[in-house]
Amino acid sequence: MKKLEEILRTWEPVIGLEIHAELTTLNTKMFCGCKLEFGAPPNTHTCPVCLGLPGALPVPNRAAIESIVLAGLATNCDIEKHSMFYRKNYMYPDMAKNFQTTQGPIAFCMRGHLDLDVDGANASERYGLADLKPGESTGNITRTEDGYVAHVGITRIHMEEDAGKMVHIGGGEGRIAGATHSLVDYNRAGTPLIELVTEPDLRTPEEARLFMQKLRQIYLALGISDCSMEEGSLRCDGNVSLRRRGTTELGTKTELKNMNSFKNLHDGLLYEICRQAQVLEEGGTIYQETRHWDPTAKRTIVMRVKESADDYRLFPEPDLAPYDLSDEFIESVRAKLPELPDDKAARFQEQFGLSAYDARHLVEHRSTAQFFEACMSDATHEAGDAAIKLAKPLANLAINDVAAWLNANPDVVLDESPLTPNRAVQLVQLVADGTISSKQGKEVFAAVLADDADPKAIVEDRGMQQVSDTGAIEAVVDAVLAENPDKVEQYQGGKIGLIGFFVGQCMKRMQGKGNPQIINELLASKLDA
Amino acid sequence: MAAVGKPFGAMSIAEIQAGLAAKEFTAAEVASATISRIERDDAQMHAFLELTADMAADAAAKVDAAIAAGTFAEAGPLAGVPVGFKDNMNLLDTHTTCSSNMLANYVSPYTATCVEYALHAGALPMGKLNMDEFAFGSSTETSAFGPTLNPWDFQRVPGGSSGGSAAAVAAGLVPVALGSDTGGSIRQPASFCGIVGVKPTYGVVSRYGVVAFGSSLDQVGPFARSVEDAALALNAISGFDERDCTSQRADVDFTANLAEGVQGMRIGVVPAFMEADGLTEEVRARVAEAAQKLEGLGATLVDIELPNAKAAMSAYYVLGPCEAFSNLARFDSVRYGYCDPGHADLGAQYEASRAKGFGPEARRRIMLGSYLLSAGVYDTYYYPAQQVRTLITQDYDRAFQQVDCILTPVSPRTAFKFGEIGDPTQMYLSDMFTISINIAGNGGMSVPVGLGADTQLPVGVQLISPAFKDVNMFRAAAALESVYGPAPVAPQFAKED
Repeated sequence: MKKLEEILRTWEPVIGLEIHAELTTLNTKMFCGCKLEFGAPPNTHTCPVCLGLPGALPVPNRAAIESIVLAGLATNCDIEKHSMFYRKNYMYPDMAKNFQTTQGPIAFCMRGHLDLDVDGANASERYGLADLKPGESTGNITRTEDGYVAHVGITRIHMEEDAGKMVHIGGGEGRIAGATHSLVDYNRAGTPLIELVTEPDLRTPEEARLFMQKLRQIYLALGISDCSMEEGSLRCDGNVSLRRRGTTELGTKTELKNMNSFKNLHDGLLYEICRQAQVLEEGGTIYQETRHWDPTAKRTIVMRVKESADDYRLFPEPDLAPYDLSDEFIESVRAKLPELPDDKAARFQEQFGLSAYDARHLVEHRSTAQFFEACMSDATHEAGDAAIKLAKPLANLAINDVAAWLNANPDVVLDESPLTPNRAVQLVQLVADGTISSKQGKEVFAAVLADDADPKAIVEDRGMQQVSDTGAIEAVVDAVLAENPDKVEQYQGGKIGLIGFFVGQCMKRMQGKGNPQIINELLASKLDA
Repeated sequence: MAAVGKPFGAMSIAEIQAGLAAKEFTAAEVASATISRIERDDAQMHAFLELTADMAADAAAKVDAAIAAGTFAEAGPLAGVPVGFKDNMNLLDTHTTCSSNMLANYVSPYTATCVEYALHAGALPMGKLNMDEFAFGSSTETSAFGPTLNPWDFQRVPGGSSGGSAAAVAAGLVPVALGSDTGGSIRQPASFCGIVGVKPTYGVVSRYGVVAFGSSLDQVGPFARSVEDAALALNAISGFDERDCTSQRADVDFTANLAEGVQGMRIGVVPAFMEADGLTEEVRARVAEAAQKLEGLGATLVDIELPNAKAAMSAYYVLGPCEAFSNLARFDSVRYGYCDPGHADLGAQYEASRAKGFGPEARRRIMLGSYLLSAGVYDTYYYPAQQVRTLITQDYDRAFQQVDCILTPVSPRTAFKFGEIGDPTQMYLSDMFTISINIAGNGGMSVPVGLGADTQLPVGVQLISPAFKDVNMFRAAAALESVYGPAPVAPQFAKED
């Protein structure tokens, strides 16, 4: 297949996402009092309502309504004051009532958007970016210094209930094909679910991935879901079509499922774009179908062909009165909005003088952002206004070292780890005042985690203090130059690469503790004199 | 005072409770004697599908303990009173079949709120009562377990869908029974059996645990032989229920103004109804006479118009089947209910189980609803039906600016013979005067006003209240009862032991 870069010259991919999030942080299900708990023994959290027994009636979970309003406010949606639940009728054993309670044409949240900062390597998949100057716009994007901002429309966020979980036994890998038995666990049935639908505004797999990441950050900040893509509490389907560059009519789309990680989301969409391009260029036809991304085989396969639109016989749910949200309620929810990632990044720039890039990456994970803030608070307590100088190195520590460490050790809880904010401040302070080199800083970082010790104690115990006393260093420099007159002659004759040799010799004499910057300066002044 | 030899089921609530208080008999005796009488006298009539003798005995023991402890007054408004429940009401550990093969073996794992409230009020549960399958019908002929016979004439239907409930009360087997009414299913059988039947305002009684037919139309209510007993029973089963979000907080004593009379009341009469096609002369005459009696008691009769009522039938046969289609989708053979054996494919199992588990009328309504909700058809029927609903509600709102209560026929005719009405659309006309009240949601009740001159069968009049002013119709009903007397036990059941 052709590479994306080549395909993009002819074709424009159009991508829209449907993102389901289970409101896992609530105590109870959407329409009954059953407990929400992942991994409980099958069918232990059920009742007449979520089992759809004859005569049972739903009662809406008010806390779930609050969660979806939070999600809507955080994604710039209009909150609809009057909306209704609908019944979506289809027969399948995972839905005990054989209808799903969802929302109709008017959802609780309508007409929102998120702006994506696409920078660095992430911006490489956008076609025609080089033609724009910073500040210039085309379509839904605006060029920035190191990439672009994409304005992505959100059609709606609606409230619905999750289905039960089917387990097929006897076939291969739990698939229904070849199975002898199908079992249903209704623990998940009735879990409150919010579904966000984007406009078809995304153009690259990177944008789709970034949108999903950003939404996840927001939902985590709101505390409305644990957003585990692995456990399925955050799920994403992608609708993809291609159209010839320069045309406006949408092509036939396929719906992509099983993209249960950010990487799978990106790779699945990338594959599908390439596949569609090949089919179209060979004169073939794209069929409206649901396709399954197989990350092992690295391809998408057909799950289901949709010959016509499904008829779900949607009609207003008569067991639930139309929902009226009062201004008071909406304002009370707005008052509960926490600081969102974008706002936090802006504040970090303002308050600590960080670059936009640093601030943005700092807020990508709630834990690193919180850690950075705790460090700054500690530093300010110690050093007052001078702490501002530590902001940049502390941000670097959080974005690079801490994030990498957390990525490699997903079970670690930062708050309970040996790396306290006070120790982090000590560490960057030791580097900043020249006591240790930044290379030594990495060693101390590892030692803090391994030995659960203070950086100052580690530096002392290991004798790592850097010598920055110019007099002491000058004595060593003079001695090294005196011992190597031939090398001095060669250097001065033009072999300036020998500078490294002199530095090495000085460091050796000082057991590596000499301040490399001062050594360099003194060597240069003496050799070049 | 209890008449010697009078069966407990033929007594009023007051008579039973007076006898219990005076220790003339015990609640245990009420329970066991009533069960025995039902076993004997219902064998042919077939009002009951299942008897709950053990539960009745347990409930009676509690009442007797209260009497012994001197706390009978707190034992509840239905203490010691035998009550029957329509078989679409869940009662823990009993069958809830909805008179359908689909649920022939279904045993309830929980109890409906209305049943729970009745038991909490001290009622003695006698058993579950026959009905049209899933309440689809006006005669109990669609019951998968055979029809109930009209206690006045075994050749005739008791009406429906709550035919078993009406027949049991009319035959004096129980003083009170509960039914449900989606388009007339309490009022029409009450009229056919000559007793009082109340469909309160939508939201007065919780629907939780009552198997749904048309969720926006269904409402539970009592059958009794006197207006007072009906009001006492409604007091017991009504009230807000957090498990049904369409139930309302309306703490009302439905007995409050039974003795007030109708002096000064404005009672609406609908001339268009009195001239309706299909209304028999004997029914028209009885309804006109009842209006005159009320006028004679001091009420003012006011002619009113309900211009959109004629569209009620059409709207009902859109909204009802649409909701029923969706409500009955859960009966799919997977978790409970009839499962046709031997299918390897889920779709085939669904089809065969539903084809065999549901009777013809249920299948007809499911297919109708499925069609009416389908893409392209929905906008043509469902949406206009909802608009009609608004218009009919506005008709009633306007009418109730002029009057306190409206008086109409219940059914265009007295009880018909089994098999007499074969065409489903003719059967649907049985509800022509009752349906618009379910569409609008306000209260309506059937009150007996003697026998038809031609058929010598009971005739009922319908009294209609503004929403949540059900006390208005009770007040007028009590006045009519003062003229016509409480409903008699059907003659062939009135012979004393």
